[in-house]
Amino acid sequence: MALPISASSASSGSQSALSESTFLSRVRRLTVDGKRAGEGYWSPDGKRLVFQSERDPANPFYQIFVLDFATGDTKRISPGVGKTTCAFFRPGSSEIMFGSTHLDPKSKQYQDEELAFRASGKERRYAWDYDPEMDIFAVDEKTGTTKRLTTARGYDAEGGYSPDGQWIVFSSMRDAYNRTLSAAEQKQLELDASYFAEVYIMKADGSGQTRLTDWPGYDGGTFFTKDGKIVWRHFEENGLVANVWTMNPDGSDKKQLTDFGAMSWAPYEHPSGEYFVFASNKLGFENFEVFMVDKAGAKEPVRITYTAGFDGLPVPSPDGTQMAFTSARGGGAGSAGQIYLAQWNHEAAMAALKAAGPRQTPKR
Amino acid sequence: MTNTKHVVVAMAAACLVASTPVFSQTATSSRTRTHVETLASDKFEGRLTGSPGEKLAADYIISELKRMGARPLPGLTDFRLPFTFTAGSKDGGTTLAITKAGSAPQLFSGATTVQALSFSDSAETSGAIVMAGYGLVVPESQNFGYDSYAGLDVKDKIVVVFRYFPEDADQQTRAILARYADLRYKAQAARQRGAKGMLVVTGPRSPNAGAVVPMSFDTAIAGSGLVAASISSEAFAPIMAASGKSLEAVQKEFDSGNPHVAGFAIPDVTVTLKANVIRQQQTGNNVVGYLPATAPLTGVNKPWVAVGAHYDHLGRGTTGGSLAGKDEANQIHHGADDNASGSATVLAIGDAFSQQPRKRHLLLAFWSGEELGLLGSNAFVTKPPFPLEQMSAYLNFDMVGRVAGNKLTVQATGTSAMWPRLLEQANIAAGFDLVLQEDPYQPTDVGSFNTASVACLTFFTGAHQEYHKPSDTADKINYEDLVRVGELASGVVRRLMDSADVPQFTKVEQKTETGGRAGLRLFTGTIPDYASDVKGLLLGGVIGGGPAEQAGLAKGDVIIEIAGQSITNIYDYTYALELLKIGEPAKVVYMRGSDKRETTLTPSARK
Ligand SMILES: [Zn+2]
Repeated sequence: MALPISASSASSGSQSALSESTFLSRVRRLTVDGKRAGEGYWSPDGKRLVFQSERDPANPFYQIFVLDFATGDTKRISPGVGKTTCAFFRPGSSEIMFGSTHLDPKSKQYQDEELAFRASGKERRYAWDYDPEMDIFAVDEKTGTTKRLTTARGYDAEGGYSPDGQWIVFSSMRDAYNRTLSAAEQKQLELDASYFAEVYIMKADGSGQTRLTDWPGYDGGTFFTKDGKIVWRHFEENGLVANVWTMNPDGSDKKQLTDFGAMSWAPYEHPSGEYFVFASNKLGFENFEVFMVDKAGAKEPVRITYTAGFDGLPVPSPDGTQMAFTSARGGGAGSAGQIYLAQWNHEAAMAALKAAGPRQTPKR
Repeated sequence: MTNTKHVVVAMAAACLVASTPVFSQTATSSRTRTHVETLASDKFEGRLTGSPGEKLAADYIISELKRMGARPLPGLTDFRLPFTFTAGSKDGGTTLAITKAGSAPQLFSGATTVQALSFSDSAETSGAIVMAGYGLVVPESQNFGYDSYAGLDVKDKIVVVFRYFPEDADQQTRAILARYADLRYKAQAARQRGAKGMLVVTGPRSPNAGAVVPMSFDTAIAGSGLVAASISSEAFAPIMAASGKSLEAVQKEFDSGNPHVAGFAIPDVTVTLKANVIRQQQTGNNVVGYLPATAPLTGVNKPWVAVGAHYDHLGRGTTGGSLAGKDEANQIHHGADDNASGSATVLAIGDAFSQQPRKRHLLLAFWSGEELGLLGSNAFVTKPPFPLEQMSAYLNFDMVGRVAGNKLTVQATGTSAMWPRLLEQANIAAGFDLVLQEDPYQPTDVGSFNTASVACLTFFTGAHQEYHKPSDTADKINYEDLVRVGELASGVVRRLMDSADVPQFTKVEQKTETGGRAGLRLFTGTIPDYASDVKGLLLGGVIGGGPAEQAGLAKGDVIIEIAGQSITNIYDYTYALELLKIGEPAKVVYMRGSDKRETTLTPSARK
């Protein structure tokens, strides 16, 4: 295929020559059951997908499910009680980790309250609440046993295993609860707890928890790269601008890869190791689209999705030929967001990145 | 698929044991193409219910059922399940005699002067006359307070009513009254109040002023219990003269929509109405067979799984439903997508399962009479050959040959909490970009099964330019994806067959009030895309030369506002249409791509 890209296309803004079909084909909705679903992450062999979904009539919150592509079957692997989020397969093991509030004795009460609210027919804007009782757990699919990996008060979640399965990088808001806050900080906590979220690393058994970031603004969406670095998203203090960053697992060499002056988040590495895919609302506050940026962040990111409604949380398959993402493009009952799957054109992605101009700095 | 619409509800989840369906792609693919090309060929002449073409199509389907080893239903020897229906009505010479006290009767007859309404009893009735305005009764449940018969004694009388609904009423009033303006509904209201007959006159201030109502196509087997006819202004003149008022002045009073404008008895005149409606009875044939379970059914809950599609179509489009332009009128309507595609899919599912173990019976149904109003499937559920409680689910296929952009719409998912999970599982392998719609009140045979409380689904790939036109031909079918529709459905059927659990039926509330369908007399020439979930009304096409085309609207446009009413879905749109007036330009705001545009559409009269 000859790609309709000119050398100057990225900087001249004539990227309209590119379209979603340049990169994505056979786009289709993967999850249809339940009110919403998202955060689909592949098993290392690419045969399964773990994701969160609101599909249990008795629990209005996310639970974790594993979908088997060979049989089409889906099974819940989280406890069923409380809220869960951000699951991840542990390479070389039968463990899956996820964040969960099921040990909170009030979990059932919250479920019932939320169900009553929904039954009342009232609507409110969907918002993730950064439950301070959220901790990270790992369930062993073979034995069915669940072990707790974090215990600190404050939201612990948004983690990923290292390629060798020995380490976990994650996000924690414990900094808001383990010390006395100033009056200004206390006000900030009531306004938006995510301000306190920082990146942490620990061994896969939960030992050796170490903090890697120490600055204002929400740090999260953390994953390891193939070459053992960490990619994540850092929010500026104002909570509106976020960018994709990388660093070493000891916290050194922090590098900013994007600079849209918008909310750029949910980075994930393509298995080629050549680029990251991520979501950004560069084109309008409510209009998230998927973009990609080269590994070094040297070039201007390239837009991937062109469909109305939320598109985000892109995760390429381990063989690099497919991409799972979360989208509200289905409208109707799916407008709350569901997982989509598409064929991914890596060659077109490489060509478009090559043709992109140097990274621009936004006017502020 | 027939031309109607409607909505809604909630759901839960359930778990099913799954196994992988076997579907031989290449063999199925070529056979599916053959099925569609055969059924949609000229030889079958558009498969009009009761026609020789329908019989040929039934023969073809039966030979295919025999080839795969299907049998007639238990206790039967034939795959054909005949049903009787009214193929058409015509006026056999209706007359009206008007007698003023002390004078000789004046006699009126002839198709342009006095014509029976299609649902009238064939009978004679005489009596005094009462003018009952527009003859509209809004049910009390609507809290609107409009009853044309309030304070009127019409017992054993003959009422005269205006056609349509008040011309000068405000938009909201018109919108409500329009829903009860169907002539059948008006006849029912008159009969319930004891009237013996009803005369309809088209007022001088209305479209089609003074003309009689054309005899519409009506599939009812019997009359409505009332003698009813429409009469021309000429025939009405002597009656009006007896009242001492002018018809125009009387209509103008009623046109205000004021519920306190009362009807009145017309003194010194009696009429004798002799209606003669000839109903032509015909027989249509459902074709139904089954593949028996391959294991003993002991302990199996609800031992039947059913798949079905209508195989009839519009013939040459002469009995209604055709959207053919003038240049293609009376040509064979091939119905390749509608619904050779669905019929071929049911055959493909049968083929696949004929080679596989079956824990339940698989019913394979091919309905006729669908285009005339779901006649065949209705006949089946009304007098089922086995109790429908034994049917665990019914899957319907109507217009599934036009997959575009990998999209497949599955409707009626609200009929069981189990459907979303089951569809998700089966679709992992099939790979469609699924659109689920809960509403089972669809203009296809799934409606009959929903009414019979059977958990059901219907598959649909969307409306298109060739919908109900001769040009719906086999060369326009997307065969590769049509075969995948069969694969997806086979995955669902496999799970239904193997599961101990069966889908629990959930009743979905119908969103819209169905008292008399709106007297839709207005023609806009828009073809809504019923499969779409976009905000606004997506046009699947526009009718050539119609008002929409003249307004510059085209396929793919999304109407977001019409006559000041914002449009977010098809229901808003049909509601808004009731507010439009013939010949009066209405502002239309629409999206073409990301471009917001405006135009003016002038509705014309539907004849
Ligand atoms: Zn049709």
